[in-house]
Amino acid sequence: MVSAEAYPDWEAVYRDNVDRVFRLMFSRVGNRADAEDLTGEVFLRALRPLRLSASVGEVRTYLVATTRTVLAEHWRRTLGREITTFDDERDVAETVPELIDARAGERAERILAALPERYAHVLRLRFLQGCSLKEAAAELGVTVANVKVLQHRAVRRAGEVAGGVET
Amino acid sequence: MSGVRRYIRNLVRRRTTPVTDQEAADARAAVLLGAGGSEQGAPGEEFVASLHARLRKKLEPRDQGRRRFVQVTSVAAASAAVGVAVDRLVVEAVALPDTAPSVIMPEAGEWQAVVAGRDLPEGGVHQFDLGTLTGFVERVGGQVRGVSGVCTHLGCKLSLDRTARELDCPCHHTAFAVDGRVLRHQLPIQLRPLPTLLVRESGGHVEVFVPTVAT
Repeated sequence: MVSAEAYPDWEAVYRDNVDRVFRLMFSRVGNRADAEDLTGEVFLRALRPLRLSASVGEVRTYLVATTRTVLAEHWRRTLGREITTFDDERDVAETVPELIDARAGERAERILAALPERYAHVLRLRFLQGCSLKEAAAELGVTVANVKVLQHRAVRRAGEVAGGVET
Repeated sequence: MSGVRRYIRNLVRRRTTPVTDQEAADARAAVLLGAGGSEQGAPGEEFVASLHARLRKKLEPRDQGRRRFVQVTSVAAASAAVGVAVDRLVVEAVALPDTAPSVIMPEAGEWQAVVAGRDLPEGGVHQFDLGTLTGFVERVGGQVRGVSGVCTHLGCKLSLDRTARELDCPCHHTAFAVDGRVLRHQLPIQLRPLPTLLVRESGGHVEVFVPTVAT
């Protein structure tokens, strides 16, 4: 689709954008289950008022704006304040979806690179690879209780680092 | 459940409102790490299909699976007029608004010359027939434009009345303006204007974009 053209119907809007919106949401909530719920909310909210004579570019921009709103409401509803935002959303409406993942990957690696190796290791196991506490304990050669303590300290350090990482 | 989701859930469960700066920073780190992890990738097929079904239910509540024509762009409308047997006087299934529309692919198609530019003077109207698409092109204010030549009622082929500058339908005495507006009709229904075609002038020829209709 060229961005100056229009979509023929809502299904075309959905097919062309569901991947992009999902990955965008995933890049700010960090897990698929929440990303799915919120992607659903974006389309349910956006598609009815969507003016189909709008160009593809305008529709994508509108979907990104809706994504931002839905994300902000999600964080306010669950944790009372915005945890992640879209600070850097330049070109995101035109970006290929894979690039969204690549950028998120780089952000995670930047955080890990700033941490002591053992912290980085436990966080990689728990948050990037989705290991259970038990699996992480086995991998690290410590008890589950040790992993909990290690993870707690590691997250704290990562939080200090992540504060300076642009999202 | 993923580590990140569990982490956030735990935080939600025991939080004070709102979370402290430190908790927010921790949560942010967990989320950004998870976002770069192995759960990345395209949405699952099952999720995409189930959300599609939810959207359909919401957007087409009374359709029960039948597809409605949600919106007609000029190209889409032109596509709807394609694929009809031109030599028949009546072409079916073109203008019935509640028939299932074809899959419309505005990016697929080609430009085809219909008349030499010099043969379409200012104010002139030219009827063309490309086999898959019939219509009329005209020149107004130096610019070329065109409409489909098939009545939006039952698909009868329109003929040009040069004197009156209108397009007449032989079937039910309906008349359209050359720009596609409905001028008059005796039908008990609302009649749609003629679909606009994409028209350009290139290499001394007036060309019409003939979209491909996927089957």
